[in-house]
Amino acid sequence: MKRLFSIISILIAGLEAGFAGEKDLREANEYYRRSLEDLLLVETPAKAMIGSRGGDRDALSAEVPIDVITAAQLQSTGQSELMRALAVLVPGFNFPRPSITDGTDHAPPFTLRGLNPDQVLVLVNGKRLHQSSLLHNNGTIGRGSSSVDLNAIPLRAIERIEVLRDGAAAQYGSDAIAGIINIILKGYGHANHASLSYGRTHKGDGVLRQADVFYSRALPGDGFFNFTVELRDRGPTNRAGPDILDGGRINTHFGDADTQDLLLAVHAELPRSDATFYLHGVYDRRRSSAGAFFRRANDDRNISAIYPDGFLPSIEPKILDYSMTIGSKGVLENGTHWDLSYTQGHNDYHFYVSNSLNTSLGLATPTSFDSGATRYTQRILNLDLSQRLGRHTFAGGYEFREERYRIVAGEPASYVLGPAHDGAYGAQGFPGFTPDNAVMAKRQAHALYGDIKYGLTERLMIDAAVRAEHFSDFGSTANGKLALRLRAHEDLLLRASASTGFRAPSLSQSHFSYTGTYRNSANDPPLYWGNFAVDHPVARALGATDLKPEKSRHLTLGLVYQPTSTLSASADWFLTDIADRILPTGYIASWNLSTLSPQAVAILDAHRIDGAVYFTNAVNTRTQGLDLRLDSTHEFGQGARLKLTGAYHFSKTRITGVNAAPGVLGVAMTELVLDAFTRTMIEESQPRSAFKLWSKYSTPAWDLVLNLNRFGSFASVKGDETVRFRAKWTLDAEYSYRLSKDVTLSLGGVNLFNAMPDEWGQTSDTLVGSGKVIRYSQYAPFGYNGAFYYLRLGLTF
Amino acid sequence: MRRRTLLSFALSWFFLASPLASEEEKKLQAVFIGRFASYVEWPDGRRERFVITLLDDNPFGNLLGELYHDKRINGKPVELRHARRLEEVGETDILFITVANFQARRAAIEYAQKNGILTISEIKGFAENGGIIQIDFVEQRVRIKINYDAAMKSGLKIGAPLLSIATVLRGEKP
Repeated sequence: MKRLFSIISILIAGLEAGFAGEKDLREANEYYRRSLEDLLLVETPAKAMIGSRGGDRDALSAEVPIDVITAAQLQSTGQSELMRALAVLVPGFNFPRPSITDGTDHAPPFTLRGLNPDQVLVLVNGKRLHQSSLLHNNGTIGRGSSSVDLNAIPLRAIERIEVLRDGAAAQYGSDAIAGIINIILKGYGHANHASLSYGRTHKGDGVLRQADVFYSRALPGDGFFNFTVELRDRGPTNRAGPDILDGGRINTHFGDADTQDLLLAVHAELPRSDATFYLHGVYDRRRSSAGAFFRRANDDRNISAIYPDGFLPSIEPKILDYSMTIGSKGVLENGTHWDLSYTQGHNDYHFYVSNSLNTSLGLATPTSFDSGATRYTQRILNLDLSQRLGRHTFAGGYEFREERYRIVAGEPASYVLGPAHDGAYGAQGFPGFTPDNAVMAKRQAHALYGDIKYGLTERLMIDAAVRAEHFSDFGSTANGKLALRLRAHEDLLLRASASTGFRAPSLSQSHFSYTGTYRNSANDPPLYWGNFAVDHPVARALGATDLKPEKSRHLTLGLVYQPTSTLSASADWFLTDIADRILPTGYIASWNLSTLSPQAVAILDAHRIDGAVYFTNAVNTRTQGLDLRLDSTHEFGQGARLKLTGAYHFSKTRITGVNAAPGVLGVAMTELVLDAFTRTMIEESQPRSAFKLWSKYSTPAWDLVLNLNRFGSFASVKGDETVRFRAKWTLDAEYSYRLSKDVTLSLGGVNLFNAMPDEWGQTSDTLVGSGKVIRYSQYAPFGYNGAFYYLRLGLTF
Repeated sequence: MRRRTLLSFALSWFFLASPLASEEEKKLQAVFIGRFASYVEWPDGRRERFVITLLDDNPFGNLLGELYHDKRINGKPVELRHARRLEEVGETDILFITVANFQARRAAIEYAQKNGILTISEIKGFAENGGIIQIDFVEQRVRIKINYDAAMKSGLKIGAPLLSIATVLRGEKP
């Protein structure tokens, strides 16, 4: 018996080995019979560098699930902004279009796999990209977080985007909880290109005018200097309904902001013997404008002598965002690869308000204001080392990171409470940051990390990573990851990973203060209210403590089936537990929290505070889900090709635990943090499922792209009522015709059949609800603009 | 005993190596090596076998040997060699170079030029620095770069069909 098993096992192994070689050999022989011209048309599988320090490898062969979005896919969406493009290409990537949400209108957040915007790490060419200084402080998805502004990156500069669907903080540090988005800028060998785009919605608004140029200059040794400039002017859309309390006129702006962007990108490499000097950077200068809530003529906050018909305050930030990396990489004589780099990123979000007034200043009020700014700067010094020994890779490195966060006060008129009104202080629409809110905070972090990719056998690869990091504000953290990749068969790959991770509390969460003033009568002293930094005496007295990092645990199991080089399918199940998620408290005031302790009430009274909000480590959550993906390419001969990518994502987040609230408040954390609105936002406000079917039929003369999307259902709370919004289908299409070898004309439609999200239905709210001013939820995952049509002329030179 | 036998069965399946699926790029490179040769004329028919030598790493596993064992290049059966160091190269028709070190790569190129060897590599800057054929992958497609002067210097003639699909460097300019 024993001998029989031994013989069988050797036979199977032999067959496996023979079969494996046979498949590769069959495909190689098939290539060998093709003409040289045909060989040049072969499309190789997408590469990905993320999740490995051993260089690029086929994304499908990776030990962790990675989606690769190509430049062609990005361009075919017809979207001018990166986040809009990813929302229709990446299942689980959620990009709602908030409106009337102060700063968030102009730099909206995105999320991955139903988690928070700050739980995604974004890299450019493998280097960390900074977050915006803006803290999303209204009732939007991602409330209480700062996010990366992906729209600050010009689409035309991008070669591909790698989306790692797994926790990877043990490799990359803070934030890599929901996953990593790695944006690879165009490098060596790309053709020069220029394009002009024009588009508008079915309503005739949201007019898009865009011009972009990608220019590449070859440098010695296959080096390159690539430069991209993009001018983007996107007009506002407005889906606000008539206001029956204002004569039935449309007085509100509810839709996309009016934005003008100047975007630049640079990417250069200059090889010199065994070293290559490189730099890359992105730059965005944005001017934007969107409305606040309308103040009717008879509104207490209006001065009718200035605005006899009422007024719509306009929030008009000037946003500057840039990131630049310089570095050098090479290989030593012993084969060790090294990469030394410095990255600096900066975001300046400066609030201006126009068409407004400070009611409390009476007729002396200005009508436009400088309401102050938030700024964030990140500096990173990084050294990566790696060495391949046979099928093994050993890697490690050191990283130093310094972050600075600043709040700059607005001009006095933007925040003062003058004598003419007891409550309507500051700039209507967006009162300025006060000198008390101004802050300059910084922290430093040192990280050491190691990563071993060890091929136990040709079949089995183990990847083990550890990362220890010390932050100057909250201390140290250490995380690990173990991933296995087993090629069970030539066509079948099994993969699994388990890891821990963390997210450092952002400086904005720790240090954000935004307070206002009012008084009960002209003779009373002013009262204060608003957000207080966790180290503010008021917050401290109310139980605030320094924020701890959010901690996560991840488990992923998956398989890839690839019977041929043109057909692949994958399935990955994942589980993510997050502890100590950071949330803003509810409004701590005696009139809002019925059981607020007398001690807390006394603290509020002593500081003349009406109510306060601060950030705290509040809840634990569990997110689990499934990703399915199918990719297929079919050649029809004579240059005709059909590419299909189908993907389905499901994820569900639920709150699994609640931390204890500060004892001084006398309320439970559930009451303090988890009102119905917040609970629903965490658990149900993002679609649990998404389906994408992207197809492209291309011929030498023309291309047709169809992109079918199903955005899953979601829920939101209005008042005390939870409203559910059904799933919706959209179809995007683009037809491109090559007028000549170098000139292409594209005609396309986004949401071609004008699908709209469900309306709110009947509500008790005066503004929000069907037939009212605001009919649509700002959480709708595909927005509420309806169809958008565009024309694009492209020139390769 | 039965448990041990089962374990032996599982382990043998697990550990007896079967080659990993070759990456598509490697398959194409393996194919191009032979296809290039059919468009190149060597100065003389020195050997009875057509020799392909891999210098430094062998990124192809078993694929190259299996692909060419039943093929003839320029009418000759193909012999595959693997040299860890330049001193081990000897006589060969094609030298596929994966040497990462710049100076060592340059030495290999010089050796090849003196001995009428067609050099091929995927390393950036290879053709500009005296290598003859460089295989690149840009946007998931193959691109070929040929240093025509280096070929001439090596005494090799490259046929027009191959030149027509490549970026050709002449006088160190494309």
